[in-house]
Amino acid sequence: MEVGLMAKQAAVTKPHAFPARSLGFGSSVRGGSGTSRIGYEAPASVAWRKRSIRVARDGTIRSEVVVEEKASPPPRKDKAGPGRLYVGLPLDVVADGNVVNHGKAIAAGLRALALLGVDGVELPISWGVAMDSGDWSSYLAVASMARDAGLHLRISLHLHCHRRPRLPLPKSVDCAAAADPDILFTDRAGRRRADCLSFAVDDLPVLDGRTPMEAYEEFFRSFRLAFADFFGSVITDITIGLGPNGELRYPSFPPTGSNRFTGVGEFQCYDKYMLADLKRHAEETGNPLWGLSGPHDAPGYNQLPDSGNFFKDHGGSWETPYGQFFLSWYSGKLLSHGDGLLSVASEVFGDLPVALSAKVPLLHCWHDTRSRPSQLTAGFYNTDGRDGYEAVAKIFAKHSCSMIIPGMDLTDGEQPQGVRSGPQSLLSQIMGACKRHGVKLAGENSSLVRVGTAGFTNIKENALAENSRLDSFTYQRMGAEFFSPDHWPLFTEFIRSMAQPEMEQDDIPSNAERLSLSINSVPGNDRELQSA
Amino acid sequence: MLLVRWKPVLHCPPQGHPRRGFAWPRGPRRSLLLWRPIRSPAPAFLSISSSKFSQAGRARVRPIVRAGLAQTPSLADVENAEILFSETLSLKRSQTVEGKIAVRLDPAGAEEEVSKWRLTIGCNLEGKWTLHWGVSYCDDLGSEWDQPPPEMRPPESVLIKDYAIETPLKRLSSQSERQILHELQIEFDSNTPIAAIHFVLKEEETGAWFQHKGRDFRISFTDYFEVDNSVGGNQGFSIWPGTFDEISSLLLKAEESTSKKDDPDDEDGNVVKQNRCIAPIYKEFPILKEEFVPNHMTVSVRSSDKTDKNIVQFDTDLPGDVVIHWGVCMDDGRKWVIPSTPHPPATKIFRQKALQTLLQPKADGLGSWGLFLVDEGTSGVVFVLKLNEYTWLNNNGTDFFIPIGSVSSTTAEIGSDDIVHEQQAGTETHDVRNSLSPNNSYPLQNKSLEASDPKNINILPMKPQGAQEAKEAVAYTDEIIKEIRHLVTDISSEKGKRAKSKEAQENILQEIEKLAAEAYSIFRISIPCFVESVSDTELMKPAVKLSSGTGSGYEILCQGFNWESHKSGRWYSELRDNTKELSSLGFTVVWLPPPTESVSPEGYMPKDLYNLNSRYGSLEELKDLVNSFHEVGIKVLGDAVLNHRCAHYQNKNGIWNVFGGRLNWDDRAIVADDPHFQGRGNKSSGDNFHAAPNIDHSQDFVRRDLKEWLRWLRKEVGYDGWRLDFVRGFWGGYVKDYMEATEPYFAVGEYWDSLSYTYGDMDHNQDAHRQRIVDWINATNGTAGAFDVTTKGILHSALEKCEYWRLSDQNGKPPGVVGWWASRAVTFIENHDTGSTQGHWRFPSGKEMQGYAYILTHPGTPAVFYDHIFSHYQQEISRLISVRNENKIHCRSTVKITKAERDVYAAEIDGKLAVKIGPGYYEPPNGPTKWVVAAEGRDYKVWETS
Repeated sequence: MEVGLMAKQAAVTKPHAFPARSLGFGSSVRGGSGTSRIGYEAPASVAWRKRSIRVARDGTIRSEVVVEEKASPPPRKDKAGPGRLYVGLPLDVVADGNVVNHGKAIAAGLRALALLGVDGVELPISWGVAMDSGDWSSYLAVASMARDAGLHLRISLHLHCHRRPRLPLPKSVDCAAAADPDILFTDRAGRRRADCLSFAVDDLPVLDGRTPMEAYEEFFRSFRLAFADFFGSVITDITIGLGPNGELRYPSFPPTGSNRFTGVGEFQCYDKYMLADLKRHAEETGNPLWGLSGPHDAPGYNQLPDSGNFFKDHGGSWETPYGQFFLSWYSGKLLSHGDGLLSVASEVFGDLPVALSAKVPLLHCWHDTRSRPSQLTAGFYNTDGRDGYEAVAKIFAKHSCSMIIPGMDLTDGEQPQGVRSGPQSLLSQIMGACKRHGVKLAGENSSLVRVGTAGFTNIKENALAENSRLDSFTYQRMGAEFFSPDHWPLFTEFIRSMAQPEMEQDDIPSNAERLSLSINSVPGNDRELQSA
Repeated sequence: MLLVRWKPVLHCPPQGHPRRGFAWPRGPRRSLLLWRPIRSPAPAFLSISSSKFSQAGRARVRPIVRAGLAQTPSLADVENAEILFSETLSLKRSQTVEGKIAVRLDPAGAEEEVSKWRLTIGCNLEGKWTLHWGVSYCDDLGSEWDQPPPEMRPPESVLIKDYAIETPLKRLSSQSERQILHELQIEFDSNTPIAAIHFVLKEEETGAWFQHKGRDFRISFTDYFEVDNSVGGNQGFSIWPGTFDEISSLLLKAEESTSKKDDPDDEDGNVVKQNRCIAPIYKEFPILKEEFVPNHMTVSVRSSDKTDKNIVQFDTDLPGDVVIHWGVCMDDGRKWVIPSTPHPPATKIFRQKALQTLLQPKADGLGSWGLFLVDEGTSGVVFVLKLNEYTWLNNNGTDFFIPIGSVSSTTAEIGSDDIVHEQQAGTETHDVRNSLSPNNSYPLQNKSLEASDPKNINILPMKPQGAQEAKEAVAYTDEIIKEIRHLVTDISSEKGKRAKSKEAQENILQEIEKLAAEAYSIFRISIPCFVESVSDTELMKPAVKLSSGTGSGYEILCQGFNWESHKSGRWYSELRDNTKELSSLGFTVVWLPPPTESVSPEGYMPKDLYNLNSRYGSLEELKDLVNSFHEVGIKVLGDAVLNHRCAHYQNKNGIWNVFGGRLNWDDRAIVADDPHFQGRGNKSSGDNFHAAPNIDHSQDFVRRDLKEWLRWLRKEVGYDGWRLDFVRGFWGGYVKDYMEATEPYFAVGEYWDSLSYTYGDMDHNQDAHRQRIVDWINATNGTAGAFDVTTKGILHSALEKCEYWRLSDQNGKPPGVVGWWASRAVTFIENHDTGSTQGHWRFPSGKEMQGYAYILTHPGTPAVFYDHIFSHYQQEISRLISVRNENKIHCRSTVKITKAERDVYAAEIDGKLAVKIGPGYYEPPNGPTKWVVAAEGRDYKVWETS
């Protein structure tokens, strides 16, 4: 297992050294991982590849867009040090209606990033945008732009809602949801969660006779065919969006409101199918009354943990047998959803020379309580005395999937008072679980690092820490703010300093020889003074 | 064999003003504008040759010999040492001899026979000279030559196809010193309607031609054509045979009255009215011929008793200062390494890569010698010789290599090491006495000579001419060029290139800042982008309905004709017999010759666009042929000549600029900036093709008519796409218009201009060249691809001169268009212009399969030339095509270059194919991928995954 995993990772880290055919390794990983996958032997995959290319002929012809910048990519370096650096493209890079948004800006941005030495970009692909038109051309156009700029790609496939901007579901799914609103997540008040299919219908034929899992698989395969030319050389990673915001979680945050959500959130188990499953589960465990509804004493989205009885640090319902019953079922649904979706993904992409990854949220608010309510509502049964991330890491390990953890920029000290947040301790808990199960780690920031925060320093520390070396780091996200004079110089400095560990080994005679940016090399908080 | 290569250099006659140098009967009175004095580079030239000739006698300036070199071997060491290896190298040093070509035109007949004229072409250098010539007639607007009328042909003339003849120059017994040695006289009647005589000269023994930038000497008898006389400084001389050296075309401007009234054409009202003017002329062109002087160098290796080092002794009879530019190699890789200290006296370190050691003159002044100490454990010494700043001697384009490590096998090993070295039969015999050092203090000399095979090592003189130009363009060794190549601009790897890269980095930083600012400004404007609809300028709407003109991406193109195909008059029927075979070979697209009525038989001078009966066959035969191709699944490209069109009628001034047929345009359809055709349209949006009226595509009616014509062709003939002729002539945006109107399945334009050369040596970086092609494709909005002329040019240099490192650009990508925009690059190695019987730019002979191994394994859409398909190459080509198809290589496949060195280039394509070309060794690494040989031939090999 371990060996196979490493081989696969190696293929990812040096895409040029193992082009297209690290299949043998890929299959051995599968073989060792417990799921029986005889079909992954080389001949089968070859046939697969051929098929994919043949179909892609029709798919790709129209898609090529005249990219204005035809500069050839800069030489690629194989970093030994701090993993690969990516920058996320705007979530709406291809907007509704299947057009590339602000393509010129992206072209210029890609070139700037390539020159700066960034390894690649993350391209978010929306299920709805891509499948509605049945046309991958805009996404392919963006991918070609990245390729032409000499950048790698991490593709993230978004299947569920996103807080902002909205990523729509395919129209056919919308229609099915209109006909049967219960296939969408529903909160206690009966509000439907737009654009987010309930995990309970994963294997139910609710979409014109097909199950969502089948629809996801179709989407994956369609993506694979369309991008057949890019795997191995350009695309190095595929990230599966396991839930809302592309993270493995329930949509426990409020349906409207700001991004900065610090409440406890709500359980999302009130659609007909979730309730039916809960009822069945309750009956199976011999407590049929527990299956009639969700916890009645849980607080609302923006309330404090103490507002209801459920999350109380002492004597809360979460510690009762009912609480344990409900939370086990609720988190179990999340895990089986994640497991199922990763199975589909590794079946579709397993033979490609790309790494599979998925993201878990860093639910750091209220981490410093015993019940950790925001994690519980999101589906992680991670309370005082119970490690909820062990099971998650196990599933990731089973599918050789690396775990992307956002929030690398956060520190405990900088969080608002009163929400008892603990991003660093939560982070180290998740990292520890991954390490125990041999899951590779990748990082993201939670938001753009702004002037005056220690964000970049934290990212650096996290990325370079000896015991938890990140495989890659993706900086979120490109946009106006990203290129603004307030942010861009900090970012260039950050990129430069990430490369520094290598440089110090070089016999550079003096600092004068180094590249000096508009902002001098000043670490951490001193920057505040500089740019003020 | 005496290798003679000569360089014509134009210069002034000795008189002060060039015009007075000619024996005009009367001074030229008219068209002074057309007369451009020929500027002369002569002074510079003189200085070069003098510096060359005075080389031997030049006073030596010796570098200061470093003191205190304790370990410098003494002669005593040498005498006691055992010889491990010895070899005598024959060196050919070039020496330049000056000569001249004389062109004389004078009346031949008696007083009353004013129409008899004689053209005399002479040359006063040794050699076997042949004049390759033809004429153009007054009524022919084409640029092609014709054969002269029979009465003009001197005896012994040989017809070359139907457009030229070759006549040898006769050797005259020289009466005096400066007498012309070779001469040819052509007599002709000025009444024959000849507009011009064109010629090039050929020296049979070396096969060297010369021409002026692809143009010929031209002696024009009319003032009709614009003649490019702009021959000045920048003469790029090439150093390999077969390349055209530059020389001026020659304009004879003359009297309008001399022969006009004798011209019978004038009596016939309908014929051309041109100013036919002939005047006597005498003109000389100084030329430089290079001769090779045999010299020798003996290299012996001995082990030293006193140290653990080997002593390498160099001994040569080369006159003057001889600098050995040398290094050692530690393994078989031939990678130059600086030897460990101490270095011999008078040694300089050259760019951290090599040593330059000045040899010491021998006691008798005839030659020089040197002793070097080399550590044991080095595998050999590599060196080239530097005679002066501009002259280097190397081993047939490669470095000399003296093995040291494996001392037992001496000459045999050298022989096998010199992969590119071709044994030339009949080269000079080894002259032992010459190579004997006059200094007898080297007792082992004789033995060494006997032991070594005489090796024929040709020394290519590097740019011996053009001293003032060649300052920085010294003949770079491969090594130095590699060094420059490795000066990558990677921002974060700063090792070992501090000063240079610093500036580059600052530039990059500025670029980054600029790009970020640009991105910011756009993003900022469109922040609410995902809420509202986006303005048009911010959208990059994929070209959904736009035809990309690249076919399926898996196309393989066949050029279905050559320059001779019109000869039979039934090419369409003949080709029809081959449709099945072409299909079974794997071709998916065929390019047919231009179908319209044409002034020239090959079809590239179209006249009535709607008349599709041509020298290739009738419209019906064409349709049948297209149908046959369609039946076997091959798409058909029509050759559309859109740049120019020949007129049907003259206007009232006698200018041929009125069109007939269905598209009866007038002079508004012709660009205004070509004075010959007096167009009234706008200025040309591209380069002009001077032989016919250039169409003004900016006129709406012209574009409308052309679009209608192209649509008609698609419908009527069944063409699936286009090959667009001479697209340099007009803006690519118009092509976009045409492509969008006709939605071709596949379209490719011929954008052919010259690559960049520096002093005859092709530049490694051809980005500017491919940028021009990519710019054109961009202008078409990607609706059409373009022939990858860049790749062809680079393959020429790489294969011809064994410089396979050229096949990787600075970024490790293919250096042609295919490296930048593979899906729009149509790669080819030969077509009807470059090869066939025209041979304007022929692919290195015998290396065609290497070229095909490259283009048929790489991305881009490969095009195979008809002549190669139906030749002994067919099997190999067929094999490569099926390997390409089996592995589903397509025009967007990715290339990973795994090796680009002097003598071998290798790459992996899509991880499915590995290919190497070149004589060097390469095997793909067998890691997780198992490679098996899929195709193989002379100097190339292709593997696929098992």
